[in-house]
Amino acid sequence: MLASLRKGLDAVYLWCGYLAALCMASILVITMLQVVTRYLNISITGITEYAGYLMAASTFLALAHALNSGTHIRIETVAKFMGSRRITLDMAAFGVAAVITSWFAWHSCSMVYVSYRFNDISTGLDATPLWIPQLTMAFGNVLFAVAITDNFLRLLFTGKHGIQPSTEIL
Amino acid sequence: MDPIVMVVLLLGIMFVLLGSGVWIGPTLMAVAAIAIDVIAGRPAGASISTTAWSTSSSWMLTALPMFIWMGDILFHSKLSEDLFKGLAPLMGRIPGGLLHTNVMGCTLFGSVSGSSVATLTTVGKMTIPELRRRGYPEHLVVSTLAGPATLGLMIPPSIIMIVYGALTNESIAAINIAGILPGLVLAGLFSGYVAFRALTMKDYHPAEEPKVSLREKLHGARRLIPVIILLTVVIGTMLAGIATATEAAATGVVGALALALWQGTLTRENFMASLMSATRSSAMISLILVSAGSLSLAMGYLGLPEMLATWVDSFQLSAFWLLMGLLVLYTILGHFLDGISCVALTITIVEPMVRHAGIDMIWFGIFIVLVVEMAQITPPVGFNLTVLQSMTGHDLFKIGWWSVPMHIIMLVMVFIMIAFPELATWLPKQMIPVSA
Repeated sequence: MLASLRKGLDAVYLWCGYLAALCMASILVITMLQVVTRYLNISITGITEYAGYLMAASTFLALAHALNSGTHIRIETVAKFMGSRRITLDMAAFGVAAVITSWFAWHSCSMVYVSYRFNDISTGLDATPLWIPQLTMAFGNVLFAVAITDNFLRLLFTGKHGIQPSTEIL
Repeated sequence: MDPIVMVVLLLGIMFVLLGSGVWIGPTLMAVAAIAIDVIAGRPAGASISTTAWSTSSSWMLTALPMFIWMGDILFHSKLSEDLFKGLAPLMGRIPGGLLHTNVMGCTLFGSVSGSSVATLTTVGKMTIPELRRRGYPEHLVVSTLAGPATLGLMIPPSIIMIVYGALTNESIAAINIAGILPGLVLAGLFSGYVAFRALTMKDYHPAEEPKVSLREKLHGARRLIPVIILLTVVIGTMLAGIATATEAAATGVVGALALALWQGTLTRENFMASLMSATRSSAMISLILVSAGSLSLAMGYLGLPEMLATWVDSFQLSAFWLLMGLLVLYTILGHFLDGISCVALTITIVEPMVRHAGIDMIWFGIFIVLVVEMAQITPPVGFNLTVLQSMTGHDLFKIGWWSVPMHIIMLVMVFIMIAFPELATWLPKQMIPVSA
């Protein structure tokens, strides 16, 4: 039961990461389309807005995956000096982060509800009902909060979190 | 609440959270939420989430993932080999010899990459073994990488300048272009230092490079053509006003993909690796931007930046001494945080002060990048040092000590920038605005 939950969660993190990557690749396609159409004097309505929505989707959907890949930055200088008591500090940090991200996730969801309830429309030429693209932010933030809580609980019960050392070259 | 109590309280919370290892993004968000909810007494959730949405869904920001992706693709390509083999015949016989391939390699790669770590790894993975084999002094091999790698962030495209532009509402293209001349001057200083050390050092006996004919030089230099094309596409189009930063970046990605395809390095794995890595890095930076946006909203509610700016004004500091103060501040901060986080953390507070003092915001962007980068080659946290440590096997503090001359050169550059502000401000003024 616990093992299949583990597998299921990891798959969701990873696949949302893939989805985020797809959104990023779409930004490339859309921007190139814009470059080409400008030379042909054709204009596609609302193209910059769509690029913006893809940007947000790409960001929020990748948060959980980036967390487990160790991409998000945190200061470990103090923890390194703590020796064996390091785990206590890590637990505190993970716990606090779980609270903050859950709070943000909750308010992201309520933002989407408000946009839907009052039928907020994009001010750009695309006239998209905003709750649709905003769903990616709500979902991504919920998943991010879940991922941090997941790592917090793992640290609490097994003494080890699941965050890999970063391999990013940025 | 008394403004001083307010500042101490918020700073206290921020340092406790950061120090205990909470991620940067959530920390800034927590401070913002406390400031709005508890101190200003307004509902924080709704305002922070709408700000987060508008920050993250901005079209301007799409330049960020595109430039990161471009760098990631080139990192997996054979560009570093091309750079070394193209530059080596040109540099072999001048004083300092192949050490110049470090400086020039970083300058060239920096103009297609927006990150100093990417520049460092790409150039270093080729030059370190080659220079060692020829018996160049180890401390010069290492330090001439540590310093010049920061050119990755000075010479456009630059990720940190995109972040700065997004946070200060300055033109991203203009700030990137502003980095060109200071970057080139800095590269010149690094080169001059290399030549000087080569001529004056006692135990400097690298293997002599064979004489090469002009024909062979040109033949080797052919390998530089791809990077020069990419550089023209990215920087040239922005400068000529043909493309916005995002469009230049997207064209750069297409160019980088084409190059990798032509070299045969565009395997399925490499493509996926670059795509996923760029997605993660971009998400990480965007989260920091979103949180910094919330923080600046909160500061606006409290009116803190204006208050601080007036307070600083009351000292009647000249712009020079304000800059010196900020130099110290960023040097200290840069010992604990990476450059992007330093900028995100402070810019809301620092921006009004700098504007009050009549300092050009584009110029200040270059100043901040230079200063923050200087800290990245200082132990114990300098990120470039950590990377060099794993690439060369030397101790962090040893590399830091070897890099002291680079640090001094960068400090000299800060004063050159102050003496000749036109270095940063002239070129952006020559840009033709994009007629979109």
